[in-house]
Amino acid sequence: MDHYCNDCKFYLPVDVFRGICKLSKADILPEDPFCNRAEKIAKCKFCRQYLSEKEFLGKCAGRLAYPDMVATTCTEFKWVSPN
Amino acid sequence: MNTPDKKVPHRPVEASPMPVTPREKKPDPSPRAIAARTLYFGAKSSASMEFPYWYSRRWEELEGEIPIIRRAEALKAGFAHLTPVIYPGELLAMGKAAYLRGSFPMPWLSEAFFMASEDKFYQDALQSGKLTADTVTTMGKGGGNVTQSVGNVISIAGKFGLRIEELPIMIEVAKKWKDRSVDDVGHKYEQLVPGYKEKEAIMRSVICMFDSGYTLPQGREVMNYYYPLQYGIEGIKSICDEGMAGVAGYPDMDRLYFYRAVRIMLEGIQAWIRNYAAEARFLSTLEKNPAQKTEYIELAERLDWIAGSPPRTFHEALQILWTFHVAVLNEDAISGLSPGRVGQVLFPWWQRDMREGILDRERTVELLECMRMKFTELDCFASMGVVGGVLSGNTFNNLCLGGLTREGNSAANELEILLLEAGIRCDTPQPTLSVLYDEKLPEEFLLKGVECTKIGTGYPAWISNQVAMEFLLKNYQHEGLGPEEARAWSIGGCLETHPGSWMPLVLDGETHYIPGGSAPATSVGVHFLSLPKILEVTLFDGMDMRTGERIFPPHGFPLNSYEEVWNAFKKYFSRAVEVLTLTNNIQHDAWRRISPSLVNSMLKPDCLGKGKDIGQMGSRYNTTFNVETTGTANLVNSLASIRRNVFDSCRYTLDDYRKAILANFGYHTAQETGSFSLTDQVPAEHFDQWKRIHRDCLDAPKYGNDDPYADAILKEWEDWFCGMTRQYRSLYDQPLYACQISVSTHGPMGAVTLASPDGRLTGTTFADASMSAYPGTDRNGPYALFNSATCWNHSESQNSQLNMKIHPSVVKGREGSRKFLELIRAYLRKGGFHVQFNVVDSRMLREAQKEPEKYRGLMVRVAGFTQYWVELGKQIQDEVIARTEYEEI
Repeated sequence: MDHYCNDCKFYLPVDVFRGICKLSKADILPEDPFCNRAEKIAKCKFCRQYLSEKEFLGKCAGRLAYPDMVATTCTEFKWVSPN
Repeated sequence: MNTPDKKVPHRPVEASPMPVTPREKKPDPSPRAIAARTLYFGAKSSASMEFPYWYSRRWEELEGEIPIIRRAEALKAGFAHLTPVIYPGELLAMGKAAYLRGSFPMPWLSEAFFMASEDKFYQDALQSGKLTADTVTTMGKGGGNVTQSVGNVISIAGKFGLRIEELPIMIEVAKKWKDRSVDDVGHKYEQLVPGYKEKEAIMRSVICMFDSGYTLPQGREVMNYYYPLQYGIEGIKSICDEGMAGVAGYPDMDRLYFYRAVRIMLEGIQAWIRNYAAEARFLSTLEKNPAQKTEYIELAERLDWIAGSPPRTFHEALQILWTFHVAVLNEDAISGLSPGRVGQVLFPWWQRDMREGILDRERTVELLECMRMKFTELDCFASMGVVGGVLSGNTFNNLCLGGLTREGNSAANELEILLLEAGIRCDTPQPTLSVLYDEKLPEEFLLKGVECTKIGTGYPAWISNQVAMEFLLKNYQHEGLGPEEARAWSIGGCLETHPGSWMPLVLDGETHYIPGGSAPATSVGVHFLSLPKILEVTLFDGMDMRTGERIFPPHGFPLNSYEEVWNAFKKYFSRAVEVLTLTNNIQHDAWRRISPSLVNSMLKPDCLGKGKDIGQMGSRYNTTFNVETTGTANLVNSLASIRRNVFDSCRYTLDDYRKAILANFGYHTAQETGSFSLTDQVPAEHFDQWKRIHRDCLDAPKYGNDDPYADAILKEWEDWFCGMTRQYRSLYDQPLYACQISVSTHGPMGAVTLASPDGRLTGTTFADASMSAYPGTDRNGPYALFNSATCWNHSESQNSQLNMKIHPSVVKGREGSRKFLELIRAYLRKGGFHVQFNVVDSRMLREAQKEPEKYRGLMVRVAGFTQYWVELGKQIQDEVIARTEYEEI
């Protein structure tokens, strides 16, 4: 799976088009590829409980969910594999 | 465009070879605020699905639970799962969603738009991928609005961007609310109102702009931050625990559930704050710059502290204020949630911090600039007609200054001077400022306010403290409001007079009585009735000639006299108010059952004391439903024209008028020309046939010239309107009152209205506000306008609104400031309620229309609010340009 800046824990979203790298402070796009300092942020698609059903939709423990939701505040989140 | 001999006979604002006169120079904001504003200018309005996802998920899990508990748990889930985002340099943290200008849909209020637009969104998603990234750069036009779908971003109604990854979940979550949302449930039951079909016809003809029950169920009200400031969140939870213990098992069990619900909701807010604290700590671990690192650590400490306890410092108090402001905004679609008299609420902490050397004035201004940026970043995700057509993207967070203390002395203080200073240096649309003008306010304070208005910020607005208190005493005395409590008022939203109360804040053993809002929303009731459109339908015996649809049954008046025209107009107006009051009451009832307010209820006295939310009349004052109108000047001018030309001089018949209206006086429509002000309209081929009648309509007496002929019509209208509203009862069985602001409705409502008997052309924008003259028709100077505007008693209405445009050269220098203050005083002393100014050279606005990218920071006053020029629709831009520009006072 390819990873992009908005999958990174150092990505600070400014708006839907762009963000800031928390490490370099540079302007970046969410679609930019992972750099060598990138680390995955907790997202549903990286969670063991998430089951993909179709593009951008799936299930979390039987309930509707979506893969790109940031899950840093979810107490149920469990990594599939950390990085 | 027009040939010289065929120009509309109207005083135009011409483009001229003369150079543009700039506004007065002002000091820059702090580097921190400049950085924040630069980030803001580059940021687009962005929607996210986090909050609605978690809200809906939890709601679904609790099927069968007590509704208010279910609502509390849903809110808790929404707050607790918001991803924290903190931007470099922020001294105040927390926001609505995980973007700088973040917001989110609330399908529990209304889901129909998303479902109806499902196919379009997916089509956009397919198409958007084909556009190049370069297209993004064209979106500077429109400021922060995402005007079209591009790449991985879907535009929602030309305003909000949504990542394509969140589109399917938005549709799926919306589907879950079908037949369950406030909109759907309210709609189901409003159909039981006799005359419901009339209501639908009224809405289709845009005689009324929107349903208030599910679009903006809260707002245009004043916040009250007393409880979190005095007790902290843990303290409020203890109040809830005591409340539950006192009522559990006793009759009126709703109180038990209310206390329990507030407690649950607060747990969500605590988690939300602590998540931000954790993010600040995380950022501190990454930070190399020692100063920024320290700031992150201090931010984390402040947030951790306020998650449970009352504030110890001014900075902590400001953070609590901001946190609860956002918390209320996240519980409902809200516009016009005003922070109120912040300088007086926070004064005890500021005074102590200054005394102890924790703060100085420069640091205070910097903090207040940060506060301004946070308020400016707010977006309101409501229905599209509301966000664009009514609000112009504004959120109307009105911060008030001045007024009187509980004892009746001047309430202006040093912190308020600094609030003005921050408003001067960091000139952003939010929070807009208003001076509650009273003769007791010191000259120095007033001149500081004038200094701020002069630089062209469009704020502070100038509002009569005495007129407002008189209004409150007339309308809230039956609920126990007396002269002392009347002094605690403030402005909610643009200009809505809102009752307050004095709460005893104890700090260091000393009691300070701080003002705060003590009533629910005034964004409720019958919202925006188009007066020119009702007159148009009156002239055509109940028909909307634009659409060919019958709106009202024939009125039965032969219209053989002016009195018959007036009576027929009143009949249709009354019918519209009657049917809309009933249907809106049902919508609001659906709202209070499905989506009761918890955050705002917890904050508003006396909900915690009574154990009742605001939908159960827990607030101290509850008479807040109103009837709002638009197009007063065009109505008055049209009636004056009919009276003069048809019934006094008998130069024309009403049929002549009808034909001229249908022919648009021989001009192309505004939609055809692409301009919405009268000055720019283009004659059609049959222009000569209508030239004489158009000239006579334009030459008929006009409001704003101290002309008793027109002013008598205004007075008759106001006296009748302000009285008739009281015949109708709100959901809370309280009488309605008149509310007279236009916001931005004069644009879209003008767009669907045919030419009017005053000579205004089809589709052009109405006069703004309620006391503003129609552009170019006030020819006798400002004092004549003041005399016209004050021919009736403004305290009979919740507000009135007068906007004026003044050339910068008129108020230049210290002498200009004094003249300006005298002008303001003259109006308020005559009994005017509100006056506000655009200090700008109109040529600058024309240039900004041509080259918006050069004017990203240009602000103008519209009608009760200041907005960035580039974020206004063209209808409103044209109208602001066309306004009469006073070149001497």
